[in-house]
Amino acid sequence: MTTDRRRINAPSGGTSAPVFVRTVKEVGYLQSLRPTRTRGPNEPRKIFLQTSIIPSASGSAYLEIPSSSNSSTTTLIPSSSSLKITASIQGPRPLPRSAPFSPTLLLTTTVKFAPFASRTRRGYIRDSVERDLGVHLETALRGVIIGERWPKSGVEVVVTVLEGDEDAWWGDGVQGGGGGGWGVLNVLAGCITVASAAIADAGIDCVDVVSGGVAALVRNPDIKNKSEGALVKVLDPCPAEHQDIVAACAVGYLASRDEITEIWMKGDVGSSPDELIEGATHAAVGSLTVLKEVLLEAVEAQVKGQVLEDEKVEQQQDIEMVD
Amino acid sequence: MTSAINPQPLTFPRPIFAAVSPHPFLQAHLRSSTSSKPFRANGRLVTEFRPLGVNPGSLTHCNGSAVVRTGNTSVVCGVRAEILREEDIPGTQTYGAGAGATAGEKDGDEHMEGSEEQEEEEEEDDGAEIADLHLLVPNIELSTGSTPTTLPGNAPSSLAQTLISRINSLLHSTRLLRAKDLRITYTPSINPEDPYSAPETVVKGYWVLYIDIFFISLDGNPFDAAWLGILAALKSTKLPKAFYDEELEMILCSDSPSEAKPLRLRGLPVTCTFAVFEGQAQDDGEERKDWILSDPDAFEEAICRESVTVVLEKGGLMRVEKNGGGAVGRDEMKSLVKRSKERWAVWEAVLGKA
Repeated sequence: MTTDRRRINAPSGGTSAPVFVRTVKEVGYLQSLRPTRTRGPNEPRKIFLQTSIIPSASGSAYLEIPSSSNSSTTTLIPSSSSLKITASIQGPRPLPRSAPFSPTLLLTTTVKFAPFASRTRRGYIRDSVERDLGVHLETALRGVIIGERWPKSGVEVVVTVLEGDEDAWWGDGVQGGGGGGWGVLNVLAGCITVASAAIADAGIDCVDVVSGGVAALVRNPDIKNKSEGALVKVLDPCPAEHQDIVAACAVGYLASRDEITEIWMKGDVGSSPDELIEGATHAAVGSLTVLKEVLLEAVEAQVKGQVLEDEKVEQQQDIEMVD
Repeated sequence: MTSAINPQPLTFPRPIFAAVSPHPFLQAHLRSSTSSKPFRANGRLVTEFRPLGVNPGSLTHCNGSAVVRTGNTSVVCGVRAEILREEDIPGTQTYGAGAGATAGEKDGDEHMEGSEEQEEEEEEDDGAEIADLHLLVPNIELSTGSTPTTLPGNAPSSLAQTLISRINSLLHSTRLLRAKDLRITYTPSINPEDPYSAPETVVKGYWVLYIDIFFISLDGNPFDAAWLGILAALKSTKLPKAFYDEELEMILCSDSPSEAKPLRLRGLPVTCTFAVFEGQAQDDGEERKDWILSDPDAFEEAICRESVTVVLEKGGLMRVEKNGGGAVGRDEMKSLVKRSKERWAVWEAVLGKA
């Protein structure tokens, strides 16, 4: 284990997450904790979105998708995770003098998970999943921003995942070893939506408002044989609530232009990937309605604030600048 | 062009004046208002702190957490407990000696929780135990886009590293946590060596607390905000009941919330940071004056060289840190401690409610 000399390190012997006695010793207790999907297959989770949360950034936003299964009061083990993401925009600002000439705005995106974002503790050094997410987010945003209007400048999009969706229900993790990172798709869709809100908050010109959405094909647990009807398409899946996800797809979608800037598909899609993509765009339209409403509210508040500010400034002018 | 009929003094809008010449900007503010109550550029009095907001228990995967706000500085702090097994502890030194030798006495002690003094005496050296075993792992992340100056992708800035080590040292020197809360002990049902004597209690492991502080937004005074976050998160922390299972030979926990125990903190050390604004002599003959600003914001921090951090407990002073400059003398320090004492009550009220 390498030690990071710039931070405080854990004990060198290593630590382990607590193991709960009833999940080990009581047969059936573990399964009784499994969360199930209570909403309809086409019903996305509720979204909370707020812009301008970071005064020192030029634009910022916070997105939260609360856990759909209620936190129980009888156990300390959280049944499923919620999604909490902040995005902060720094810039556009001039590139450093050493940088070569760029005719368009240089976009840099960083996605970082907090150590407490998931059930197993994460490190501070960026890992491959985070870098992967950063690249996907950049593709989603690159086509949206009108970069020609800011030559020789750069903008930083910094996304911090305070809490991310899990890849599968934690109780299954012991046997399966993870079905291929389904939670990452949800995180990406959240990142796209929140970054889009922050970019709008920063006042950077875009061709349209991009929003993220996820759809998945899940195997219906009631039907045991692998017939055709056993697969159900669900919008905005919470991976912990579905035992067997077959395929999933996340998109960055421009609704008014009907364009897709980013697509990430995983799993066995079968013969009709179009249906899954369409489902993801439907989910994206769902988050877009929230996004639009929040941005509109923010603009209204800003206009109102501007009027008040103008009055205040006139009063303050007298004590300004005597030297 | 040259024939301006009414030559006006040069005026700028506020934000431009602040950006072009920050020092005269703040000085103009402090001087222009009446001398008894000088206002700063941010509208606060010189001695005024920013209001506090504490929102505990907001993270799912933490044993304790808090979102804390002071003005425009906001912080998310999460405390996560993991288990350090006794066999993974390097070295041969045993710390739980007091716990091991006198099992019976210890049990008796637990029943009479009231005898606080006796307990204090018994745990005289638990600071070394916590520090040597690295049971507290605080870390701070500033590069979350919280400030334009530190961007992600780089190593932690020197500011972040300084903050981490200051927080770490304060956590240990205030002896905020008790080693007893973090120990996981085990008393076998019979003594394997001598079945007739009482079995010995042994330490089977420790809880390690990972304290991660994420700055969401930074507008000055990161140290106080981080410390408030830590206090609020630790106050909301509940450790599950952990015990050693003979059958499986490992440490198991109970997931029942009623059996989980909160951490008992030793007192409530409060940090108060001040910045000294050194005025410049004016042309109009007014003499030079210094102002000591409570709870500086990012703009004030950038133009102040000297800063003082006072840490105090209800009973008295715990620590004073002073960097740069020579404006704060004995009398000024006295007034700062007085200001901090008033601030202590505010912290207590906010944390007590949360």
